[in-house]
Amino acid sequence: MKKFTVTLLALLVLAPFASAQAKKKAGKPPAGTEALALQDQYYERVQIPTPPGEVVEVSSIALMPGKKVAIATRRGDVWVCEGAYEADLSKVKWTKFASNLHEPLGMFYKDKSLFLTQRPEHTRLTDTDGDGKADVFDTICAKWGINGDYHEYAFGTDPDKDGNVWVVLCLTGSFHAYSPWRGWCVRVTPEGKMIPTTSGIRSPGGIGMNEKGDVFYTDNQGVWNGSSSLKWLRPGSFQGNPTGNKSAALLGFPDPPEPKSGSRILTERIKFPEFVPPAVVLPHGKVGNSPSGIACDMTKGKWGPWAHQLFVGEQTASQVQRVNLEVVNGLYQGAVFHFLQGFEAGLVPVRMDQEDGTLFVGGTNRGWGSRGSQPFTFERVRFKGKVPFEMHDISARPDGFEVTFTHPVDAASAGDVASYALDTFTYIYQSAYGSPEVDQTKPTVKSATVSADGLKVKLVIDGLVRGQIHHLVADGVRNKAGDALWHNEGWYTLNEIPAAK
Amino acid sequence: MRTPTLLALLAATSVSFAAEDGAQVYNTLCVACHGPDGKGLNGLPPLVGSDWPKGPAERSIKIVLNGLTGPVEVAGKSYNIDMPPQGAVLSDEKIAAALTYVRKTFAGGAGAVTPDLVKSVRAATAARTTPWTAAELLKAHPFPAPRTALVNLVGTMYKGEWNEMPDFSKLKPAQIEDENTGIVSPAQASLKDGFAMVWEAKLQVPEDGKYTFVFDCDDFGALYVNGERIAEIKGIAPIGGRRKEVPILLKKGAVPFRLEYVEVAGQEVIILGYKGPKHNEYQWLSDTKLGGGAKAAAKARTPIPIEAKDGYTASYRNFIAGTSPRALGFGFSNGTNLAYSGDNCTVELLWTGKFMDGAHHWIDRGAGNEPPAGDGVVKLSDGFAVTGPSTPSGAIVAFQGAKATEFKSVPVSAEFKGYQLDKAGNPTFKVAGEDFSFTDAWTPADTRGAAGLARKIVASGDKPVTIVLARGLAVAAKDGALEVGPRLVVRSLSGVAPTAAAAELTLTLKPGESAVLGYSFR
Repeated sequence: MKKFTVTLLALLVLAPFASAQAKKKAGKPPAGTEALALQDQYYERVQIPTPPGEVVEVSSIALMPGKKVAIATRRGDVWVCEGAYEADLSKVKWTKFASNLHEPLGMFYKDKSLFLTQRPEHTRLTDTDGDGKADVFDTICAKWGINGDYHEYAFGTDPDKDGNVWVVLCLTGSFHAYSPWRGWCVRVTPEGKMIPTTSGIRSPGGIGMNEKGDVFYTDNQGVWNGSSSLKWLRPGSFQGNPTGNKSAALLGFPDPPEPKSGSRILTERIKFPEFVPPAVVLPHGKVGNSPSGIACDMTKGKWGPWAHQLFVGEQTASQVQRVNLEVVNGLYQGAVFHFLQGFEAGLVPVRMDQEDGTLFVGGTNRGWGSRGSQPFTFERVRFKGKVPFEMHDISARPDGFEVTFTHPVDAASAGDVASYALDTFTYIYQSAYGSPEVDQTKPTVKSATVSADGLKVKLVIDGLVRGQIHHLVADGVRNKAGDALWHNEGWYTLNEIPAAK
Repeated sequence: MRTPTLLALLAATSVSFAAEDGAQVYNTLCVACHGPDGKGLNGLPPLVGSDWPKGPAERSIKIVLNGLTGPVEVAGKSYNIDMPPQGAVLSDEKIAAALTYVRKTFAGGAGAVTPDLVKSVRAATAARTTPWTAAELLKAHPFPAPRTALVNLVGTMYKGEWNEMPDFSKLKPAQIEDENTGIVSPAQASLKDGFAMVWEAKLQVPEDGKYTFVFDCDDFGALYVNGERIAEIKGIAPIGGRRKEVPILLKKGAVPFRLEYVEVAGQEVIILGYKGPKHNEYQWLSDTKLGGGAKAAAKARTPIPIEAKDGYTASYRNFIAGTSPRALGFGFSNGTNLAYSGDNCTVELLWTGKFMDGAHHWIDRGAGNEPPAGDGVVKLSDGFAVTGPSTPSGAIVAFQGAKATEFKSVPVSAEFKGYQLDKAGNPTFKVAGEDFSFTDAWTPADTRGAAGLARKIVASGDKPVTIVLARGLAVAAKDGALEVGPRLVVRSLSGVAPTAAAAELTLTLKPGESAVLGYSFR
């Protein structure tokens, strides 16, 4: 009753301001097409013309010296683009570097060669005679199994600090492990040694690193995955899907966990310490349906104020989502926010030029459709310099969350608990395909305290639930200009609740 | 420890009190593929205009519960896309609500679906763990029999063998049947090879205007509409390359229809459809539709020929039928082709004529192996082809079976190390073990006027190596050359000569030695 009175009072006091804001801007934060319209104020998205008459289903993007950009396609061609950074994209020049390789998914440039992870192997492509075409194709590592199944995709990273390339190997048909090391992440050394690194993979859509060099991949909703998620590939870990466990015996590794179906990830990972839970769940149908490539912002502000956040492609919805991460009790966790949308096909590779702040993305609609209307696309996105009003990040506290905003907030709206809504849920961890949302709770926001600089709000929450996804909607928060958030919601995966200091 | 709180239980209960909102379920889960308007997002099957959500609801319930896999025909278009199962995600109530919404909104007011029906279908199919195929579902829950514009269709079958279209007036029918479906199909002959059929009917023309008929068949065929022979397919060839699309002006009313067809051998397929002034989509008069079904799609898919261009050898890395999954194809400018097995470290297939058709792997998801596009494929060997010093490198050869539940680590003596292309795109494959390595170069070379290939193998390192050149083919010496199987002739042109056994041809090289071999086709 007391709370009700306070809230009512707040409403009365705020009423004149609220109506002023309403005139300037509808109170409801933008969604869907409205958010898309706003996007143009902050980010410029341009389609880069692909080679005329060619089918260029972009599967990999690599940056080369001299502002050249190499792309690989699902049909296995490698093209080098000059002029992809220019204002006038009508003059882009394409050179075909290689043809008809086996569905490459992951490519980088190093030591005058392009390295790519294709379905059967990790390969180095070199043009030794300088005619612009690869003539030496060195097989660096072909030690993982393939058996002719179209779904046995292999996604590779850039080299890590030791020069190793991390490769995630999709299950056979995304359900089985009919060849060695399906459902594993392996590292490939520069000498071609293969080091099995984690078990428990289902169906990856992309792989990448954060600023510390820790490696993450996206895994798609399906068996043992109640939802798609972003997962941390801690060496030696189990990622949740036991289908590929039997490969461990090939090298005499201990058996990975055999978790119980119908349980919860939290329950099973406490039983099996090597089970690393998803760092950030990307709730199915709400955030997206099929996450793909991963890029970290290390542009020092050229891409916007998102230092060290991850940008995750989304195939079905033709979007890029934004993720902030933190480490609590030795595990990564964090929040996902909607970010960019409207791409012309289902996105697969994303590549950030860290010097320049340009994000290159590539897409394809073949086999799996998307909201984008074109069969394939190659695009570039740049920050226009105007910072959108967003939740910059959500960070867990022993008694709630601290939300950092990109603009100083209006203290009245941001300090009002009624400006926030919180619900939590998780998924059944099971061998069946996907899961409904379960174990729903509605925690209470007890207080919202705005920092002196107006950039942070400390939310004290009654009812945090370890292991659950906390969906925070900050519908009522306004910045000092009275603007609502560009995207008003985030989903924080609370693997661990930090201990009070 | 997990802490399910009382609060959690209360909240969950209160959520389930609300009546399920089918539109909400649809717009959360189904919309990503089928689109907000039910028309299907780009490349994905629509619900609007589809027979699938109509009729018995069991069919739709099964799809939602266990998913759908493989080729499926929806609203006249063929798809090969998996629908993921939702049975583990959605309650009976949610499935009933979503399907009721779909049937009401997109399927012309088909009846509501009750949670009880979903529950009973779920119970009845509880043992089912894999997605359904379209064929299974249509067998259990067929669409209403199609009615076509062919009225009083009668099929007459003749037995025999012909190399041209026979004069049917002089033949004696072996079988005459009414085909009330209005659909023509070679299956109506009840024979596989050596028959001909004539179908006659009245074609109901709905209005005056221009009609376009599409016609293709395997093997011969001739199509008569309104007494005029408008399309003819001659000769023996698979379906796909000879498709005819013919416009014809017709007046409203019933006009004579006649289709003549000869099946000599091999596959039997007829594709026949028409579109008219008011229908831009083909109306099908045959059981096989253009792009319908996986096999028909494979046959009717427009090929994407991969071939040598301007003297530059073509390459193709993908799943090639007859060799192992790590396959590398090369198609040379003189019409010879090879497929190298990166798993087995040798060339396993040689053939002549067309190199490869990319359409199979480059359209849709590309499931399965694609056979060489040319003729007379010679399978040189199967299995690992290199014997070096005994030290294994620890490489692992995958189990190649389709449903292997167990596989083991098989140490092999050598690994495929990649390849180099010369200025004309011709490959030199590289193989290395711990104490040896060799290169294996292939170039187009005509031998005595016949198209062929030259192969040069050069060994290096410290230890000798033995390479299997052919295994399982009869090897016979003749006129200073070796006949290997029925098609291939291998000549030692210089360097070390191969060793011939009854059904095996091997080459042993010491470090620094080489061999040049000529391959030609008989």
